Amino acid sequence: MAAYLQQWIDQAPVLAGSIVAVLFMAGVAALLGFRHTTRIDSAELARLAAAEGARIEDALIAPDSKSALARLADGKLMIVRVMGADISGRILPASAARFRLRSGRLWVAFADTGFPPLHLRAEQTPPWLAQLSAGEAT
Amino acid sequence: MTAPQPPFEIPPIITYAVPGFVLLILIEMIYIRVTKKGRYEARDSLTSLLMGFGNQVFELALGGLVIFAFAWAYQFRLFEIGWTWWALVLCFFGEDLSYYWFHRLAHERRWFWASHVVHHSSQHYNLTTALRQTWTGVFALSFAFKLPLVLIGFPPDMVFMFSAISLVYQFWIHTETIGRLGPFEWVLNTPSHHRVHHAVNAKYLDANYAGVLIIWDRMFGTFVPEDDREKPRYGIISQLGTFNPMRVAFHEWLGIFRDLRGAKNLREVWGYTFGPPGWSPDGSRKTSASIKAAWAARQQAAAVPAE
Repeated sequence: MAAYLQQWIDQAPVLAGSIVAVLFMAGVAALLGFRHTTRIDSAELARLAAAEGARIEDALIAPDSKSALARLADGKLMIVRVMGADISGRILPASAARFRLRSGRLWVAFADTGFPPLHLRAEQTPPWLAQLSAGEAT
Repeated sequence: MTAPQPPFEIPPIITYAVPGFVLLILIEMIYIRVTKKGRYEARDSLTSLLMGFGNQVFELALGGLVIFAFAWAYQFRLFEIGWTWWALVLCFFGEDLSYYWFHRLAHERRWFWASHVVHHSSQHYNLTTALRQTWTGVFALSFAFKLPLVLIGFPPDMVFMFSAISLVYQFWIHTETIGRLGPFEWVLNTPSHHRVHHAVNAKYLDANYAGVLIIWDRMFGTFVPEDDREKPRYGIISQLGTFNPMRVAFHEWLGIFRDLRGAKNLREVWGYTFGPPGWSPDGSRKTSASIKAAWAARQQAAAVPAE
């Protein structure tokens, strides 16, 4: 146990140096202007759906254009969010997600841990979304 | 009996390489800023670098178990192999071959993929991606692929040394700034070969598992050359929707756990744990094989002239 602790003490300067180097490199990346934020619009949503062989029936895009929820023609949902310069998305049956809609704020959670819950402001609530948040999966 | 001692002091290879990593990353950033040849994204890079830092911490916490496992296995060695020149040559090739098979199974079996997915989870391909390393490699027992070398009789320190050299070698190939390297492409794993490995385009899936030498992929039929007409798209089939290092590190393990909770029989338990990533009892999820099959069918359909 003492040797194990000693190993941590010996390596502490290396770990401290590493974290300084990490922050320094990330800082340089930011200073060099590598801070892209792409935006989602209807055309981009349609393109993403088409790439998966799907078609959008209706969509709700967040006011900041960083996330969106779309209902596809086959009844499934497409959820997308901006990841810096890229976009990450999931297509899934409505039954695979949990919805909560309160005071114009929508919260959607998935079983997939790699895609955290989505929060977006829903200024206008389409009927299908109201149905979903009421637990009526289509 | 203890393992034969090396005739020289083995330096902490990875620790010594770190300043070089930092310098090369800074050079690559500036080069990309000027030439636009390649991509960086600060948040993505921060996540990659934090994964590398976390890997250091987990290695420090659990690396002793690997040393113990190697020392234990070494008791049962078949041959007495010293630090001779021919042993070094054989160990280099042996380590690289074991890396190939570890890496191949890390893509083909979900248990190992749950750990290795971390390295592929960036949609970018630059030198910081090289440092996006797993935190759960020891837990996944990835080191077991190297045990046969110790059982043959190569000293554990020799195996560790070549593993470290391989890891350092693989750093520089994570870049879009270097094109093809002529005759080196025949023998070595290069940036071009490794771009294919990190790509999610159907034609590039499950290819180029090499560590240092690409010869293993050529021998075992997993080699795919980079096609100038098809630019690689990087990441994983279901791209992550987060930069959170904790989610990056553990999401696939939690996925296995979630699937196992719903498993109805032993076949499903096996499939969810050791089947190909994306395996599902009803075949409703995408696997590399199903994606490649659909792509091949589309290619074939496109090649058949319309009547």
